[in-house]
Amino acid sequence: MPAHNLDLLQGSLDMLVLRVLELEPMHGWGIGERIRQRSREVLQVTQGSLYPALHRLERKGWIEAEWATSENNRRAKYYKLTRAGHRRLAEEAESWRRMVEAVAAVMQPTEALS
Amino acid sequence: MSRGGRGRREAELDEELRFHVEMATAENLRRGMAPDEARRRALADLGGVEPVKEACRDERRGSRLEALGRDLRWGLRSLRRSPAYAAAAVLTLALGIGATTAIFSLIAGILLAPLPYRDGEDLVVVRQHATRLDIENLQFAINEFYDYRDAARTLDLVEHHSMTFTLLGRGEPKRVSTGVVSWHFFDVLGVGMLHGRGFQPSDENAGAEPVLVLSHPYWLEHFAGDPEVAGTVVEMNDKSHTVVGVLPPIPQFPQEHDVYMPTVACPFRAAGEASRVENRRAFSNLTVFGRLRPGTSLAAADRELAGLAARLESEHPDVYADAGYGTAAFPLRGELTENARPMLLLLLATTLLVLLIACSNVANLTLARNLRRERELAVRAAMGAGRWGLARQTLVESVVLGVSGGLLGIALAYGGVDLLARFLGRFTPRADSVAVDGWTLGFALAAGVGTGIAFGLVPAFWQRLDLARVLHQGARSSDGRGHRRLRLVLVGGQVALAMTLLAGAGLMLRSVQALSEVDPGYATEDIVVGRIPLNWSKYADQEAVSAFYGRLLPALEADPGVAQAALGTIAPLADEFTLTRRFTIEGRPVDDEALQPQLDQRAVSTGFFHLLDIPLVTGRLFDLRDDAAAPPVAIVSRSLAERHFGLDEALGQRLSLDGGDTWMTVVGIVGDVRTGSLDTAPADTLYQPLAQGGFVQRAFLRGRQPERLAETLRQAVWAIDPEQPVDDIRTLTETRRESIAPRRTTALLLGLFAAVALAITAAGLFSVVAYTVGQRTREIGLRMALGARREEVVRMVVRQGLAPVAVGLVVGLVGAAFLGAGLRDYLFAVGPRDPSALLAGAATLLAVAIVACVVPARRATRVDPVRALRVD
Repeated sequence: MPAHNLDLLQGSLDMLVLRVLELEPMHGWGIGERIRQRSREVLQVTQGSLYPALHRLERKGWIEAEWATSENNRRAKYYKLTRAGHRRLAEEAESWRRMVEAVAAVMQPTEALS
Repeated sequence: MSRGGRGRREAELDEELRFHVEMATAENLRRGMAPDEARRRALADLGGVEPVKEACRDERRGSRLEALGRDLRWGLRSLRRSPAYAAAAVLTLALGIGATTAIFSLIAGILLAPLPYRDGEDLVVVRQHATRLDIENLQFAINEFYDYRDAARTLDLVEHHSMTFTLLGRGEPKRVSTGVVSWHFFDVLGVGMLHGRGFQPSDENAGAEPVLVLSHPYWLEHFAGDPEVAGTVVEMNDKSHTVVGVLPPIPQFPQEHDVYMPTVACPFRAAGEASRVENRRAFSNLTVFGRLRPGTSLAAADRELAGLAARLESEHPDVYADAGYGTAAFPLRGELTENARPMLLLLLATTLLVLLIACSNVANLTLARNLRRERELAVRAAMGAGRWGLARQTLVESVVLGVSGGLLGIALAYGGVDLLARFLGRFTPRADSVAVDGWTLGFALAAGVGTGIAFGLVPAFWQRLDLARVLHQGARSSDGRGHRRLRLVLVGGQVALAMTLLAGAGLMLRSVQALSEVDPGYATEDIVVGRIPLNWSKYADQEAVSAFYGRLLPALEADPGVAQAALGTIAPLADEFTLTRRFTIEGRPVDDEALQPQLDQRAVSTGFFHLLDIPLVTGRLFDLRDDAAAPPVAIVSRSLAERHFGLDEALGQRLSLDGGDTWMTVVGIVGDVRTGSLDTAPADTLYQPLAQGGFVQRAFLRGRQPERLAETLRQAVWAIDPEQPVDDIRTLTETRRESIAPRRTTALLLGLFAAVALAITAAGLFSVVAYTVGQRTREIGLRMALGARREEVVRMVVRQGLAPVAVGLVVGLVGAAFLGAGLRDYLFAVGPRDPSALLAGAATLLAVAIVACVVPARRATRVDPVRALRVD
């Protein structure tokens, strides 16, 4: 299955990033890798849009950044969720869930398709 | 954003992306790519480092402007929903900012703007002093000027002195204020002629044809602004003077003159020039200015002058020894503004206080308003603004209010500046260079932004919004106790400031009142005084002068409208020169001239004392006995008699003004007369009869109708000599009023500012009490339902409202003590802690405060208690 370009779903990208960071603080490279891994290679974040997204989320106050040493002893910028970010993630997840249910309800095979 | 911040962000962005590229490269290497292939793929996958950086920057940059735009729109919408609040805030701020801006524009024009002369910072005034003799400004004699001018290497020096001559040949004889100056006076000042030429070196040669330069206003008024005026000839001092040039319209220093002439054209200086060989200090009337030569500093000039002074002292020990003689240079700018500076700074301090009061008032209003819209703010905060974002939004709102207040304030200032400039014209010649200009506008806008931030910070910091509590609780959130305390503190602060201003105004007003009650020692009702400055070349000797006055006095007395007529040397309070002379007392020889006592010398006609109601203490007044052939006599003032002889011993003593060549006998003692200004002590004065010599130029007339007296005087003089000008005719009541005028205007200004401050404070107190009462409607309803009388409730509210007022009053009284100390120089007969002024101020404040509390309190008690209790 072709990797989905997440550019079109900017809101979804934000939500996924928040979710990844909910588990543990991570740097930009790690976030992209984690999304790829957890989606079983389906979702490949276009790296060029990941960093602007991170900066936007930081500006909005949902994540905050801290410089630390990475696993290979390099200096890296780690992001983590703020309290506002936690709340935002909950809201986003909730509205995503409702949307998914709504779409699934429409697509239910109650009648024959095609 | 600061440049350091931006640089840091760039560096961080760079490092973040570099880390990413390294990780991606490492991953690619792990997958088996060649090293440069790995890196290339990593960069390509990223889409290039620069585009990503640009996108990140956009996220941050666009967001900031975007946020500001959003805040602005939200703020405007919010203000539109509270028009009363917005109007009150803008008006209050406009008052405060308007006052401050007006004063600032004056300061900018007078104190800060560059001098209208080329390189004005290099211009200096040079002054001699004789500290041992208590003389701060020892005017230069011709010899002294030449010595310094020829020897100084750090300065180009020019001389100046002021004369009043009669100008003939252009209609009515006119008195012209004449500046007598070195030929290169204007060159040194850096002023070019508007028309024609200035003076040249040959104009200062002995025997040169006299020339004139006209000042701009004089040229406009009396020469019709004719650009071809050069070559016109006028008569002055019995010589023909040719006009050679016209000055441009700049402020003249040291004073405004009508015309200028070179030094050789002044007959008095010429006389001094002739006698300066034997008399070291002949014609010591000169003021000296200079320009620093390129490459030197004021300090270097000072040192050189000090050295020259020391040399002169050793060369002429008989004149300068033991006098504490020295010479120094002072920047010209200070001279021009010295008189106005303390006044301006005082006014600035006052308006800043008013501005502070206005700010705290608006802060109070804002606090109240924010409490009302707590829900709205909480929602904003929950929508992601965060505490800082919310504070920023409310700050934007208050800055909008501040700038609006600033714009309105500019309009107010524009009207007020004109008035103030005219007032300050008394203190400095620069007052007309004041206008509302770019600097002022900038200041007003900056003040608007500043005050917006200032009063906005208070509520912004105070917002401790517990979102859940507010959103879920419904109506009022906290009981707002801390909130109310803050508002009361603000009110207390306003009261303190208002009290300080009121005290200052009170002190000044009391001073003015005391000044106007000072007994000057002479009558002022129904007396007109005019100046008859005799043309000295025409009336060259005592005989001619006596002949003139011998005809004038009888002619005046014969007029039916004139009750009494007299002649004297100077008019009281007219800010004229005084003839101060040293004198010797017979039997008390004093060798050292420097230690001789001094007196003011006056000549008067026989009717002088009677006309002015100056009392005779003992002895007799002048009468017809005391003519030119009789033995010289004198009348002295009481202070002189007491100081040197004691009242009983003065009669019969003999004094000499010329070192013992001639002696005058004291025949009478009269009361003291204040002639300088009302707040300085009367000087020791000696009067001589007109017939026995002395210099008069003032005619006094006493009669019923002052307007007619002026015309009577003119006609009488012209009947004798049609070419003799008569000017400066006014009543003594006028001169007296004018001498108090500066202080009165200051007092009125302070009073005005104090009144504004009081009004703002009262409004603030009113709003706080009204709000508090509104909060406690239920409690009040309860009390009244339980039987409390209305007066009791009102008294309770008023008492609580007055608590911060009382505290503010006490603090304000302390502040008033400081202000009083600062005002000390302007006060007259009133101590800086004068109790009556402070008490009056406090009483006014208290009265206003009580009214401000009572009104809302009473309104609250009128509410039907049942309805009040029903409030949810």
